[in-house]
Amino acid sequence: MRHLRAVLARVAGFFGGRRDDDDVRAEMEAHLDMETAEYIRRGMTPDAARRQALLASGGLPQAVEAVRDQRGLPWIESIAADLRYAWRALSHSPAFTTVVVVTLALGIGANTAIFSVVRGVLLKPLPHRGGDRLVYLRQSADGAGQENLTFSVPEVRDLREGAPSFARIAQYSSWSAIQETSDGPARISVGLVTGNYFEVMGLSPVLGRLTQPGDDGPDVPAVAVLTHDYWMRRYGGDSSIVGKPVTLDKKPVTVIGVLQPAPFFPDRVDMLLNMVNSEHHLGASMQSDRSHRMTEVVARLGPGATVDQARAEVDALYSRLTNEFKESYDPGAHYRVAVIPFKKVMGERAQLTLWLLIASAAFVLIISAANVANLTLMRGVRREHELVVRAALGAGVARLRRLLLVENLLLALLGALVGIVIAVGGVRLLTSLAARYSTRANEIRLDAVVFSFALAVSVTVALLLTVLASVPREGSFASKIIAGAQRMSGSLSKHRLQRGLVVVQIAVSVVLLAGAGLLTRTMLRLAEVDTGLKTEEVLTMQVNLRITRDERRSNPAAVSAANERYNRIRQEIASLPGVVDVGTGSAPLSYSGLTRDMKAEGGQLAVGEAIPRGELRFANPSYFRAAGIPILKGREFNTSGDGFGNVVSDRAAGTSVIINQALADRLFRGTDPIGRRIAWTNGIEPVYGEWCTIVGVVGNTQDGGLDTQPRGAVFLPLENSDALVIRADRNVSALTAGVTRIVRNIAPTALIENVLTVAQIKDQSVSPRRLNAALISSFGILAVIIAAVGIAGVLAFSVSARTNEIGIRMSLGADRGRVQRMILREGGVLLASGLALGVVGSVLFARVIRGLLFGVEPYDPVTLLSVAVVMAAIGIVACWLPALRAARIDPAVTMKG
Amino acid sequence: MSTKLDVKQGTLALMILKTIDVLGPLHGYGIARRIEETSRNRLALNYGTLYPALLKLEQEGCIEAEWRQSENNRRAKYYALTPTGRKQLARETRDWHETADLIAAFLAPRRGEAT
Repeated sequence: MRHLRAVLARVAGFFGGRRDDDDVRAEMEAHLDMETAEYIRRGMTPDAARRQALLASGGLPQAVEAVRDQRGLPWIESIAADLRYAWRALSHSPAFTTVVVVTLALGIGANTAIFSVVRGVLLKPLPHRGGDRLVYLRQSADGAGQENLTFSVPEVRDLREGAPSFARIAQYSSWSAIQETSDGPARISVGLVTGNYFEVMGLSPVLGRLTQPGDDGPDVPAVAVLTHDYWMRRYGGDSSIVGKPVTLDKKPVTVIGVLQPAPFFPDRVDMLLNMVNSEHHLGASMQSDRSHRMTEVVARLGPGATVDQARAEVDALYSRLTNEFKESYDPGAHYRVAVIPFKKVMGERAQLTLWLLIASAAFVLIISAANVANLTLMRGVRREHELVVRAALGAGVARLRRLLLVENLLLALLGALVGIVIAVGGVRLLTSLAARYSTRANEIRLDAVVFSFALAVSVTVALLLTVLASVPREGSFASKIIAGAQRMSGSLSKHRLQRGLVVVQIAVSVVLLAGAGLLTRTMLRLAEVDTGLKTEEVLTMQVNLRITRDERRSNPAAVSAANERYNRIRQEIASLPGVVDVGTGSAPLSYSGLTRDMKAEGGQLAVGEAIPRGELRFANPSYFRAAGIPILKGREFNTSGDGFGNVVSDRAAGTSVIINQALADRLFRGTDPIGRRIAWTNGIEPVYGEWCTIVGVVGNTQDGGLDTQPRGAVFLPLENSDALVIRADRNVSALTAGVTRIVRNIAPTALIENVLTVAQIKDQSVSPRRLNAALISSFGILAVIIAAVGIAGVLAFSVSARTNEIGIRMSLGADRGRVQRMILREGGVLLASGLALGVVGSVLFARVIRGLLFGVEPYDPVTLLSVAVVMAAIGIVACWLPALRAARIDPAVTMKG
Repeated sequence: MSTKLDVKQGTLALMILKTIDVLGPLHGYGIARRIEETSRNRLALNYGTLYPALLKLEQEGCIEAEWRQSENNRRAKYYALTPTGRKQLARETRDWHETADLIAAFLAPRRGEAT
């Protein structure tokens, strides 16, 4: 209480004016008078009495000062004075200030922006209740495209029984549906979830209710939960939507609630539906076939259970299952299940890219800070004289250090301020990048934590700069003043520090450039990948005539009407000017989503060899021609005799198939596959187990992504599938409008999606890499510029510190060339050490980012060599300018000075 | 000339409070004189020590200041004890005695302990 009152009084005193000083002075004068009078009374002369009193007082001005310190907040007052002084000093050297602030702003801005992304996507706790107890299960097997097989219903049943560490297990499947909206049909992403899904995930509704176990099973009403994002986007947050029906795939579904904002995995979702919405999920095959894997699995760990325990249980379970059900678990493919904390799996795809970005940004900050350190060191040397004078006038070493700290803080905070402005712009770009890798991208915020990060970074930089800067040691002032040195050239140790910083700058720049080079080459290599299609002038689009499963089964009239429309659409497109071929089939360069084990008639697998797998794709007779997929052997489909049907289920018996080269190699090992028969060994209705005759072999296409190995594929003949492939003899993108008009005329309710040229599809899969490469390259370029400024600055400083020496050398006969070579040699040593260090660092760094590379080795000699050459060239230019300046030194002038 | 002692941190406030308590409202000169006399001139108070201490006590609410006419017709600032100051004086006096007893007990030579 007493202390609080004292503090308040002092704060009040801090704002009080000079008047209080007058009061104190008057009080002291009175004291002095009384004491003088006392001395006079004891017999002194008035003069002697006054002098004696003054002596006893200990000095009035000092006393007034002491009282003033007690009255206000002296610490703040002197900081304010320091700030004023620092501001004045900095505004006296605007060039220095601008360079430092901009340099720091770039470093701090880049780090702040990227930190906000890392925090939003990787670090922030999940919004789910007890989110750290959630795990995601991933089943995988050897082979391309087998990284995430998902689970079948029998497998989930076994997990429930065989892994007691999981308190509860929920299933969900990513799906898509077509919703009737006021703007016409729209495709939305839906998740099919078990009733316990939300309870397991620890999510709550913001409106209405979520699904419950009572929503499971075949005979319940179809219900939907809107995600918060979709509710805002489509319904503008209108709460009256709850309880109303929406139409999905032509069937009514009742909206029962709105979910809290939450990220989904693996995809963004608009609505979550109960299982009754998918006939498929309740079908007999899905319920009982162990190989019919279609659901993702999340589980909540029981109290006290650990991820390791769960892993051990799942491993034990799987070694039993794979022995027991050999037909579902090919021993050659090593089926296994990973138990991954949910938060980790959410950040999985973003992780490597983001760590790469933050490492690069940190590197940029390191070299900017090194540059600023060098600048302040040089400025510090020039200011040494000033500091000595200030020290001589009574400023203590602590006070001088504080002054420097305040100055550096001011610089760093100005840098942070500008940096945050840069970060605000950068975050938008980075959010769009992060959205490609994570569904948590909408959690990226520039919030208090991020700002504290920026603040912490800038304070750290300021502290480092202050520690590095040299303040004259206590006791060394006198000698320096006596020496009367006009310029205290930097001590040897300080030079060493500056040189060390330059070497580090060059090394770090080389590492960044090498990273940028490798990523750029990756991007170029990816763009060079042969898609397997002759890409020029091919337009693809998906036209969904929206025939439902029910209609397919029970309304043949609707089906044949749809086919009729489809045929007309194809014919009319074919008659457009410029169109060469129109085909239909599985959308080129995208995965059909169905891959199953295959066998060849009479084929024998070696012991332990993985069972070959084939992706199920569809094609009509003109598909391969239109897409430009080469027929390598045999023939393309023809409408008679290949068992063509309009839908898979009504194909005639004795179907012909066409396989791709990858599968032919795998199944027939160089023998001619034409006329041989193959079959699926499990799991695809209705072609399961039926022998199909191979009539052709086509080239591989990169349907699983440009950076993957070609996968085996089997094409089934199908008259009409939803992807149209249109080849034109010129400018195919100009056809888009005409094609769309034809579809609209013939099938007004059709959903038209993914209207893209093959070149655009390819570009889409290259573009995330391009953005990566562009970001790292800009960091690299920034780093090189800063490093070049750094090396030039340090050499220039060295030249100006050695002006006398150079003058003497020249007057003793050294010519300009010699002096220039001397300075160049000094820079060259720095450059060479930096390059050597940088190349070693690059090799280490590249090993870390190996996962982001494609088609280049991490120690790619071409990249490393060109980076070294570029850096050396820039470095030499940076050394040249100060060397030229040294050569122009006039010995006569310097010696006189 | 006897050696002058520095005033120990914290003890000056107690001396000032006790002085005002004994002599009633008093100006800075009076307080300084009294403390120097009581210490038999072993303590010397310069202004830079005395006045900040007075201001601190005032800020803490232990004393109040008022400009008044002095006995020989001079204007001076008089300091008077407040109820808070009285309480503070009692508490500090007690604390000081306890500390002094404790230190005395420690420093007193004890027989038969050390050999």
